[in-house]
Formats: sequence, C-alpha cells, structure tokens
Amino acid sequence: MWIRFMIPAVAIILFLLEPEFALFSPIEWNGELFYFVPRFLILYLIFLSIYYNPKRAATYGLIFGLLYDVFYIDIIGLYTVLYPLMCFLANWTIKYIHQHLTFTTILSVLLVALMELVLYIFFHHIIHFTNLAFTEFFVKRLIPSIFANLIYLMMLGWAFKYLIDARVLQKLRELS
Amino acid sequence: MPHLSNKRIIMILIGLIVIVALVSFSLRDRQNATLPEQFIKDSVGLAQSIVAKPANYITNLFQDIQSLLNTYEENQRLKMRLEDFAALQAEVNTLKSENKELRKLLDNEDSLRDYEPIRATVIARNPDQWEEKIIINKGSSHGVKKNMAVMTTSGLIGKVSLVTPFTAEVELLYTNNPNFRVSAMVQSEKNVAYGLIEGYDEKRNELILKRIDSSLEINKGDKVVTSGLGGIFPKGILIGEISEVTTEDFGLTKMAYIRPSADFSMLEKVMIAKRSATVIDGADGEGTNADLTNNTGIPGEGED
Repeated sequence: MWIRFMIPAVAIILFLLEPEFALFSPIEWNGELFYFVPRFLILYLIFLSIYYNPKRAATYGLIFGLLYDVFYIDIIGLYTVLYPLMCFLANWTIKYIHQHLTFTTILSVLLVALMELVLYIFFHHIIHFTNLAFTEFFVKRLIPSIFANLIYLMMLGWAFKYLIDARVLQKLRELS
Repeated sequence: MPHLSNKRIIMILIGLIVIVALVSFSLRDRQNATLPEQFIKDSVGLAQSIVAKPANYITNLFQDIQSLLNTYEENQRLKMRLEDFAALQAEVNTLKSENKELRKLLDNEDSLRDYEPIRATVIARNPDQWEEKIIINKGSSHGVKKNMAVMTTSGLIGKVSLVTPFTAEVELLYTNNPNFRVSAMVQSEKNVAYGLIEGYDEKRNELILKRIDSSLEINKGDKVVTSGLGGIFPKGILIGEISEVTTEDFGLTKMAYIRPSADFSMLEKVMIAKRSATVIDGADGEGTNADLTNNTGIPGEGED
C-alpha cells in the first residue's frame, strides 16, 4: 500500500531538498566561483516518465514547476513549461534508446543540460537578467552542474528504478 | 514527433499564449506578491523550514568538525589579537560615553546608526541560482519590510526584495539588478568618502563602488560601510574592503572594487536591520510608492 504514496512523496522530498543543497553553492576554488545547480526533482520525473507513466510524470512536472516558479523564481511559467516538456522529450527519445539504467542515466543528465542551456538563453538573451558570457556559463555552471547531478543520479538512480518497478509490479498484480 | 490533431494544436497555442502572458506579468516591476502567490509562498515556506532544520544541523556538524581541525592555529591567532582587543575595548567605551554626552548637548538622541535586529534563519536558496536570492523565515508579521538591510555577523549581504506574511526574499549583493544600489562610505585614515555600490564584476567576484569624489584619497584595504543616507539602511554596517581603486569612464569620479567581508556560500543565520530613525522610502531600490516627506527632523537626512 505504501508504495502508492511513495512516488509522490519522493517527489515532494526532492523538491524540498533542492534548495538545501543549493546553499552549498557556489564553491570557491582557485579564486573562481563554481555553481552547482541541483536538479534532483526533474531527474526523478524523467525517470518516472521513462519507466512509469509519461502523463503522470508531466502532471507532476506541471504542479512542481508551478510551485518552483512561485516560490523561488518569481517568474511564473518558466519551469511550469520546462518540467513537463522535459518529461515529454524523455518519453519521446527513449523509444530510440535501449532502456538500460546506464543509458537512461546519461539521457536524463543530457536532458537536464539541455534545460540548463534553454534557461541560459532565456535569462541571457530574452530577459537580460545576466550578462554571463557563454564560455563562463559553460565552464562555471554547466559542467559543474552536470557533474554534480551525474553523481547524484549514479547514487540514487537504481533506487528510483527499484521504487518505480515495485509500483509497476503492484499495479500489474492489482489488474490480474 | 507524435502526430498532432487540430484540437491538440489549438490547446498548445492557447497554452503558449497563457504562458507568455504569465511570464510578462511576473516580469513586471511588481511591488507585492499577489494573494495566491503569498499563499503558496507561505505554505511551501512552512514545509521548507521544517526540512531546513535537520539540513542545517548536518551542515553545522560539518562546520564544527572543520573548525575543530583548525582549533590550534586559530587559538594561536586569537591569543595574539586578544591583547589588542582589551585596548580597543577601553577606547570604544570612552568614545561611546563621549558620543552620548555630545549627543545630549546636541539634543539629538536619534542616530542613523541605531537599529533593531530581527533574527532570521535562511530556509532556502533559489536553487537555480540565476538570480542571487535567499528565502528567510521571517515576514511582514514579524515586522520585516521591503528594502531593509540584511546582514550576517561579518557584514552586509543584501536587502529584502519581497515580503509575504511569514517569509521574505533577500536579494544578495551579488546581483546584476541595475536598480540595486547601496549608499556606502569609505573610511580611510584621513577622510570619509561617499559613494554608491552599483552592481558587481562577475569576473573578479567583487562589488563596484562608484561616484566617489576624486579629490578624496582612498586606498587599498580601506573599510567600506553603509552610510545610512539611502533612507532605509542603518549607518555603519560593514560591507567589505577595497581591493583596487581606479578612475571611472569619464575621469570625473573614482571607482573602487570591494571584496565583501561576508561569506555568501554558507548562509544560515542572518539579521534584518530595522532602522530606529525614521525610514524614508524613495530612490533606494524600486521605491514603494510612498510619498517622500522631508520633515524627518534628522539633519543630514534626505533623498538620495
């Protein structure tokens, strides 16, 4: 029974943990600041979209994206669009890729990198909130963020898959 | 891509229009959060502050271990400074009493320096870090108002940019917002120079202090503090130290780079300075639509 509630519960926990981890960033190294952007929730949602139910994942993406926008960003409609979009993209690309955990991990991190890029274009070229040059963005934000999120997913990806598999099995049992 | 029906395309188009409208609405220069936003902010803030407690505990544990490892060196250094400190303390005491007496002579009890600290805990940092913001667990019901100064024990870190009943958002000094200005003064040995902190240099990670009178001499290593002339900040909060002095574009005024004294990466406990002297809303920040009254009774006080 508890597995049913675990899927949204994990999403809520990850949503609340993201800003806590963001407190560690930026890290100063060699006199330069490096930004690590935690993307725990969207990585989990991408996993949900691949292994569980893309529509459900997109709905979670919509709800949490809206909360994220209102609470942290103050630009309503940014993550509200990006989160579900990433879920759909994941579901679309996975058809062409083998569904092994290694490949899904790499795919998820690549999608997050894509999202980061879209955000950079939005903040830099569209609303001019930042005048960070592209190379700076690439070295100080994108690469560290990809690394951090890859480590996170390598540690927890199997757990997500385990949880989702348990839920899928439970559903099948209910049907039969 | 999957095949799209007409109905779907219309839905997507309507969705896009709504999103663009929402984004442009939220990008407008808003003074207050709307009611549903406030509700969401307060309820997420409540959940966030519950999560923040164990998280802060764990970070503290790590910091404790780190400081334990440095204990010997630190002790050595502190012992050396302790002797200076006693002398300094005596000097401060005499200056304080002298200041009080002089103030009595002037019949002016109110000082720009006085403020009432509101202690707050940082519950979150804007996780995507495009804008430098933190969220704290005190809001308008605790007396926090927009544009108030926020600091840690080591110096100024930013100002309040948005308030809901139980949370507040703090815009950090490291911001690209061109409207973010702090009226500051440089305390050099010979004189006091006033200037405005406007923006920061992303390459050097330092703040930029502009519009300093070029006839005044300022040097590397001079301390920079808030001047209190902006109307909202109290006077004398440490901002940082000058690391380089140059001339501004047209050579009329000086410009200096400041290395902030506060550490911005591990913020946990902060203080919001509620100034005791009359607060003037105005040119500092985006203004709060309040009328600018001049009869505050404080000499040297006025618009920026």
